[in-house]
Amino acid sequence: MRNSCSSVSKLLERYFDQEVTGEESSLINEHLTGCISCRETLRSLVELRDLVKAPVEEAAREEDFPWVWQKIERETRLQEKASWWETLRSSVNLSHLLRKKVWVPAAALAAILIFFTVPLLFKETPLSPDRSIVEYVESPTYNVMVYHPEKTDTTVIWLFDGPEMESPAS
Amino acid sequence: MKDLNETDLILRCQRGDQDALKEIYDQYHEKVYRIAYGVVRHREDALEIVQDVFIKLFRTISSFRGKSRFYTFLYRITMNTAIDYVRKVKKIPKTIVEEEGGLQLSEEPERGPDRILLHKELEEKVKGAMEKLPADQRMAIVFREIEGLSYQEMAETMGCSIGTVMSRLHYGRKKMQELLKGYVKGGGEG
Repeated sequence: MRNSCSSVSKLLERYFDQEVTGEESSLINEHLTGCISCRETLRSLVELRDLVKAPVEEAAREEDFPWVWQKIERETRLQEKASWWETLRSSVNLSHLLRKKVWVPAAALAAILIFFTVPLLFKETPLSPDRSIVEYVESPTYNVMVYHPEKTDTTVIWLFDGPEMESPAS
Repeated sequence: MKDLNETDLILRCQRGDQDALKEIYDQYHEKVYRIAYGVVRHREDALEIVQDVFIKLFRTISSFRGKSRFYTFLYRITMNTAIDYVRKVKKIPKTIVEEEGGLQLSEEPERGPDRILLHKELEEKVKGAMEKLPADQRMAIVFREIEGLSYQEMAETMGCSIGTVMSRLHYGRKKMQELLKGYVKGGGEG
């Protein structure tokens, strides 16, 4: 009986919690019919549960819950608005980038590009080609080309032989 | 069918649907309250915990991936909120008036003054005994004795093995029986 009691007492809590197999349950049931001590242990477990549970059930029955929901609703609405604003703010917020210093290589690259491209952009380029007057006059004996650059006062005149005189070899 | 409905509710809640949160609240607020009250043994505090739990749920439900059952997710939030609450309250000793406020029990007509006094005294004793338990043992007792969770469900909620659950329950009960000697037969034996 003593051995049986010690082996059952190990299972008694699981039995009380309905966590034993059918076989274990039968063994304990059989033992309990003849063992006052184990029955007392079991009863103390029941009493403890009642002591812990009864006031909770009573409080839950008497509680007025609707105002709790009202507070939750108000709070979650505020949260929703706040999270909307947070999302917007984080989308334009660059402070995390500044903190992480991932901008350093990007800034260096931008500086190099500026250094090389700005001089090219501002390089003096002529707005229009040098305006010069070139006249070409053909005649049966001579061809004349007159070149008169705009910027200077000089005029250059070329005289060429006529076409028939140009190709004596052919 | 219930699972499908619950999955739909969770998805809607994850998208920020407050009506879905209300439906979840309607389904679970009493359970959450019982757990919270079981831990703090104080009505106003328990209601405050319920409020915090559902606000936290709304904020964190997007992290629920459906790998565990939803109620274990919710009970875990409840457990952590209640434990945090107890830790916070412990730092601020309550006045006697506040303590008495926490023990307001309904004066039912069939109860005589002596019964009410005994009832209050008993509740005070239980509260005192629960407060002396480590948080994990206290949670084990609340989940099992009040919510009637199985060992498996408790292990999932508490994030531990079934063996640990059994051990926490056993030592918690043993200590409670010792502390409530005279109210529970066979206290401290075994």
